[in-house]
Amino acid sequence: MSIGRNEVLHVARLAELAVREEELDRLVDQLNRIVDYVAQLDRVPGDRMAAPFLPGPRSADLREDVPGPVPLAQPPAELAPEFADGFFLVPRHGAMEES
Amino acid sequence: MSGASSVARETGARLAAAAPLNATLHWSQELLDAEAARVDAMRTPGPLAALPVAIKDNIVTIEQPTTCASRILEGYVSPYTATAVTRLREAGAMIAAKTNMDEFAMGSSTEHSAFGRVKHPMDPARVPGGSSGGSAALVAAGVVPVALGSETGGSVRQPASFCGVVGMKPSYGRVSRFGLVAFGSSLDCISVFGRSVADAGRVLSVLSGHDPLDATTVDRPPMPVPTPLADLEGLRIGLPREYYPADLDPGVGAALQRTREAIRDLGGEICEVSLPHSPYAVPTYYIVAPAEAAANLARYDGVRYGPRKAGSGGDIHSLYQTTRGEGFGAEVRRRILVGTYVLSAGYYDAYYRKAQQVRALIAEDFRQVFASGVDLLLTPTTPTPAFKAGEKTEDPVSMYLADVFVCAVSLAGLPAVSLPVGRSEGLPVGAQLIAPFFEDQRLLAAAAAIERAVPADAEVR
Repeated sequence: MSIGRNEVLHVARLAELAVREEELDRLVDQLNRIVDYVAQLDRVPGDRMAAPFLPGPRSADLREDVPGPVPLAQPPAELAPEFADGFFLVPRHGAMEES
Repeated sequence: MSGASSVARETGARLAAAAPLNATLHWSQELLDAEAARVDAMRTPGPLAALPVAIKDNIVTIEQPTTCASRILEGYVSPYTATAVTRLREAGAMIAAKTNMDEFAMGSSTEHSAFGRVKHPMDPARVPGGSSGGSAALVAAGVVPVALGSETGGSVRQPASFCGVVGMKPSYGRVSRFGLVAFGSSLDCISVFGRSVADAGRVLSVLSGHDPLDATTVDRPPMPVPTPLADLEGLRIGLPREYYPADLDPGVGAALQRTREAIRDLGGEICEVSLPHSPYAVPTYYIVAPAEAAANLARYDGVRYGPRKAGSGGDIHSLYQTTRGEGFGAEVRRRILVGTYVLSAGYYDAYYRKAQQVRALIAEDFRQVFASGVDLLLTPTTPTPAFKAGEKTEDPVSMYLADVFVCAVSLAGLPAVSLPVGRSEGLPVGAQLIAPFFEDQRLLAAAAAIERAVPADAEVR
C-alpha cells in the first residue's frame, strides 16, 4: 500500500497538524516505510485471530456502572476564590440585574 | 549539617559536574536543600530516608516544570503531584532532578529531545538509549543511585542495558500512572532504574500498590521488598529461540552465554521455548502505540495546553495546526500522523483492529510458556550495545528495531528486568528476565541471585 502526498495532507488535517511543503516529500517517504513495515501483520493468518487484548485488572474495564464520588486531586475549595455549600460563588451578573 | 542536607549538597555537586551529559532538564540546589529539610522534619525516617531520586520529565511535580522534553510544554508547571512522587517523598526520598528524555517518550536514543540529546556516560559519541535516557545516564554516571523512568515499549530496559544499570519494568497496574503524562495508555508504566537489583526493588516496593486516582492499578497490597534468592534450585528458565537470532551481536551473544552458565551453576534448569508471534511485536507496537498517542496528544493544541501560535488562516483550525506543527518535533509528528492514519476510516480494521488481535496472540504465547512450567524467561535486552548518535535518526524503522526484544513484554503487560551482564568492547550488555503477570517480587529475587554471580564490568570477548 502506498501513501501519497494528498493522503499525508488529509491525515495531517485530521490530526490538526500543519505540515510544511518542504518537509512533505521526506514525510511521505518515511510514512510509507513505516506503514510498509507494520503491514507485515497481514502474514498472521486470520483464522488464528483472538479477541483484542487489554492488560491489567479486568475490574478497570468491566466495573459496574454505579455512580459514586470521584476523588479530586485538589479539594474544590482550592479551585476558586469562594466555595460554599457545594457551589462556586461568583459575582452577580450585571446585565441580569439591569433587566 | 544533617545527613539529608549533606546528601543534598553532594548530590547537587554531582549534578553540576554531570552537566556535559545533558541528562537533566530542571534541578536546583535550593529545591534539593528544601527536600533535605523536609526529610529532616519527618518524624520517622522512612524506608528511603535521604535517598536522592531523579525523575523523568514526564512525571508531574508542582515545584519544577514538566515539559516531556517538548517545546509545546516549555515552562508548563503541573497543578498537582504524581502519586509515584508523593509515595517516594512519604518514604523519605528526595527528588533530585527532572531528567531529559525523548520528546513525549517517543524514541530509543534520547536524540529526539527538544532540549538536545543526552550523551552516553562512557562514550559521549554514543546514545544512552531511550526514551528515559537522562535517568539512565544519571544512574550510570553515579550521580543518583536510583531514578524513575517510564516504559511504553521498553523505554527503561533498553537504556538500562545500554548504560550498564538495572532497569525494572513492573507489571501493568502495579504502579499508579496518576501524574504520568499519557503516551500509550494501555502500555504506559512508571519504571525504575537502579545501580543494583536491591535498590530497584526497594523503590518499586514503595511505588507499588492500589491508587484510587488510577483505575488501572490492581487492588492488591504493595510489593514486599524482595529477598535475594541464595540459588536458583528448582527454577526453570526458558530461552525463547526467537530472541537468539543468528545475526545477534557476538558480544551480546557471549554475555548471554555466560549468564546461562551462571544460572546453571546456581542450580537453575535451562530449557528452550518458543514465542512464535514475537517477530510481530515491533509492528504491532508501532500501530497500537501511535494510535493511542494520536488520541492522547490531541490536547496539546494551544487552547487546552501549549503556547498558542496563531496561524495564517485566521480560524481555530489554523491555530491548532500551527501550534501543533511548530510545537511538536519530527518524531512526535510522524507518530501522530501514523496513529491518525491507522485509526482513520477505511484503515481501522486493516491496521488497528488487526494489531489488537495480534497483541492478544503475543500475550497468549507468554501465557502458554509460563503455564507449561517455565518460571522465568532469559533474553538479551537489546540486539547490540549502545549505537552511535546520528546512526539511526534518518531511518525511523531501524530506530524502532532497537526495541525488538523489549516490545512484546510491554504489549503483554508483564514484569521484566534488564541487568548488566558484561561489557563488549567496553560497552555494557544487558540481559532481560521476564516473569508472569504480577510475579515482580519473584523476578527481582531471582535477578539478584544472577546479579551476584555475573560480573557486570568484565569483558566477554
